[in-house]
Formats: sequence, structure tokens, C-alpha cells
Amino acid sequence: MNNYIESKIYTVSKLNKYIKKLFEDDFNLQDIWILGEISNFKLHSSGHMYFVIKDKESQIKCVMFRGNNYNLRFMPGDGMKVKARGDVSVYEKRGEYQLYVKEIIEAGKGELYLAFERLKVKLKDEGLFSEEIKKKLPLIPQNIAVLTSPTGAAIRDVISISLRRFPNLSILVVPSLVQGASAAQEIAKKIDFLNKYFKYLDFIIIGRGGGSLEELWAFNEEILARSIYNSKIPIVSAVGHETDFTISDFVADLRVPTPSAAAEMTIPDKNNLINNLSLLKSKITRAVKRNFELKTENLNSISRSLKYQGPENKINQYYQYIDEFSTHLNSSIKHKVELYEERLKKDSQRLDSLSPWAVIERGYSICRKMPGREIIKKLEQIEVGTKIEVIISDGKILSKVEKKEAVSN
Amino acid sequence: MKNKKKVEDIPFEEYLRKLEKIVHKLEEGELTLDESVKVYEEGMNISKICLDKLNKTKKKIEQLVIESEENYSTKAFSEKEGEDTINEL
Repeated sequence: MNNYIESKIYTVSKLNKYIKKLFEDDFNLQDIWILGEISNFKLHSSGHMYFVIKDKESQIKCVMFRGNNYNLRFMPGDGMKVKARGDVSVYEKRGEYQLYVKEIIEAGKGELYLAFERLKVKLKDEGLFSEEIKKKLPLIPQNIAVLTSPTGAAIRDVISISLRRFPNLSILVVPSLVQGASAAQEIAKKIDFLNKYFKYLDFIIIGRGGGSLEELWAFNEEILARSIYNSKIPIVSAVGHETDFTISDFVADLRVPTPSAAAEMTIPDKNNLINNLSLLKSKITRAVKRNFELKTENLNSISRSLKYQGPENKINQYYQYIDEFSTHLNSSIKHKVELYEERLKKDSQRLDSLSPWAVIERGYSICRKMPGREIIKKLEQIEVGTKIEVIISDGKILSKVEKKEAVSN
Repeated sequence: MKNKKKVEDIPFEEYLRKLEKIVHKLEEGELTLDESVKVYEEGMNISKICLDKLNKTKKKIEQLVIESEENYSTKAFSEKEGEDTINEL
């Protein structure tokens, strides 16, 4: 009993490790393809994919790590029939075996994929996908056409979303088959028709809701691609699929993932536009107002500085100068006048002292020979009998010479 | 003189760009008063044109009925009728 227990007891991890080794040593479980339908698909935020692949009776857990799935050409999803290649091994932590997927392709799509790839390369080489030839859609479409099935959710969504965003829009619904053998040709013909009779259209949305690759196949056909390429009216390709492209997507002027997205992306929100407009308008008004205020302020400051530098100030300055000058002038003239007055006084005093009258006051007199009134200084000027005038301090004496007598020194 | 394009032929976005340019010009504040009055009037005029453009179209949901290579008609869109049409094709 004791012996049995000791020899047969494993730890869980040892057991799982052992089982894992069994799986990995079995070539029948390594690098195999399995066929089934994807279910319970989850894309973890780490980038790893977790899902199960099942058939009618059974299922197997699968994991596809990011390193293996990053270049997948499509996004796997529930219900998708796939062929998956990988190794079967054990996830020891949970004791679960699972398929570690390395490659995954959509089952039964091999032929279509090849056709798709061939056409894609051909049209690309011809320049049908080139960015330069893509036409720009107008910001404000007024007349649009929607070329799709008139019954599905797609057309309902396009109309309701478009009208919600832009209530006064003109929409022309162009009913068409969108799947089946003749769908591509019908869509192409209708695009040609619109180009002939509805030149004024702003653009045409062609598309349909989501579906399998076969259901979307019309949008991968050459006839439709050529019609899109030849269309003068811009074409929006709105084929319902998230990750992969159709040929229509590559040729169209705009590619959107679904018909509703087409409406969201091509029809502008009118309210937004109106708000934008009034914002611009108020910006303009504000800027002009500010410009006016700025100019007024400028004017004020210029007129202030004008007062300092302008004629008014100059005149005032001159006034002051003149005042100062005249004061200066006054004082200097006054000075001069005083100076002259002083001199005059002195001169007149001197003159006084020299005046003959002062001498006469003292008793001297002046004799003048008549009638010439020549001042007599020498005897020889006169004869006896000459009339002479004697000037004294208070009058004149008229007399006659009676005798001349020289004075000897 | 260049041929002046008609207002209807100039797309909305071009007017919008003009309006933005005007805002920019005015905000730079280097215009004379006369110029800024002129530009202001132009701006108000353009914003009216833009608004007119937004309100120009009438709501219309129609369905195209192609009768032959050359003939077609339109009728009010209804989903059920659409179904009939598609069945005829």
C-alpha cells in the first residue's frame, strides 16, 4: 500500500509536463491542418487571438499568438469556415490541450482569393488604383445617388443618417442587385447610366451590408472596377466588411467600411457647419471691433504726442521765448538808458564848470567889438572910438573906446 | 480681366477657406480702417453665401426607374416598391 502510493504520486505540473511531451513527440499532432468553423473568437488586447474551431460533433481550443497573426489578410470571426495550420500541445497551467495556430486561411476561398489577387495586381499595374486620379468629394453634397439593394438595412441606414446630418439633401435611390452572378454587371451599367443622364450628381455611393466573400463578390469583378474607374462622378465604395478590401474599394474615389459609414463620412453635419459659420462670423466681428479700438487708441496717442510736438506747443514755446526775450531786452535797454543818463549828468556838470557864465558870475566880463561881436582879446583889434559891447553877469553895456594903453609885463 | 465664376459654381469649401483667411487677416490687425471695413463686409457677405448654399437644396428622396437604355423616370422612394422593381429586373 505504502509502496504503491509512493511510486504513483506525481505533482500536477509534472503530470502535465509529461503529457505535453507526449503531444509534442507525436508527429501526427505537429504541423497539421484542421478544417472547421471558428467560434467564440476573442482578440485579446495583447494581440493574441483565442477561439475554438469546431465541426458538428466536436471542438478544439485554439490560440494564435500575435507574432503569427499580425499579417493575417482578414479578421477571423465567429462562423467563419477556416483551415488552420499549427501544432497541438498542452497548456500546462490549465491542463488543456489546444491548437497553436500558425497560419489560417478561409476555407474554400482559395480560388476566389487567387482570382482577387490576380485582378488586383493587374488593375494596379494599369493605374486604376492610383491616388492621383481619385476625385475629391465636395464638402456640401446636394445631390447624391445611392446604388444598392432597395430593400436591405443598408439603404434605410444611409437615408436616415444622411437626413439626420443634412436635413435638406436630395437622394436618388438607384435600386440594384448587389449579389449574384449578374450583380457586378448591373451595378456597372447603372453607374454608366448615371454618368450619362445624371451628370450633376455630387457622388454615388455603391455598396451593400456585410456578407460572406461570395456575397460580396460582385464588388471584386473587373467589369465593375472599370465602370468605377471610368465614372466622371466620384464613387464611394461602401461594401460591408471591416478588415479586408474589395477591388471596388481600391478603385473608388473613397472607400468606407459600411453604407452607414458612407453617410457619416460623406454627408456633413449641417448644424456643425452652421455653428462653424457663426463662429467665424463672430470672430470677424470681434477682430474688426478690436481693430477699431486699436486704431482709436493709436489716434488718441498720436494726438497726444501731436500736442507735444505740434504747432500749438511750438507757438507756446515761442511765446515764452518772446516773453523772456522782451524781459531781457527791456532790462538791457533800461541799463543802457541809465548809463546814458549818468553820462549826460556828468557831462552837463563838466559843461557847467566850463561855461563862461560861471566866470562872468565871478566878476569877469567879455568885450565884443561892434558891430561884428568879435571877442576882443588884443589891443590891436580896436581903435579909439570903436564901439564895444561888454557882457556882464546880468546884462550888457554898450560903450566907446577912449584910450588904448598896453600893459607891459 | 479673368472671367468671374458664378457663385453657384464656387464650392462651399472655397468660400469657407476665404472666410478663414479673412478672420486671419483681421486678427493680424495690420489692415487700415478702410480695408478692415471692406474685409468685414466681404466676410459678412461670404458667410451669407455659405448659409445660402447650406439651405439651397430641398429634401428629396427619389427612386430611379430605368425603363430602357434611354428612358428613365423617378418616383418617390418606398422600400416595398423598391422590392417590386428589383423583382422585375
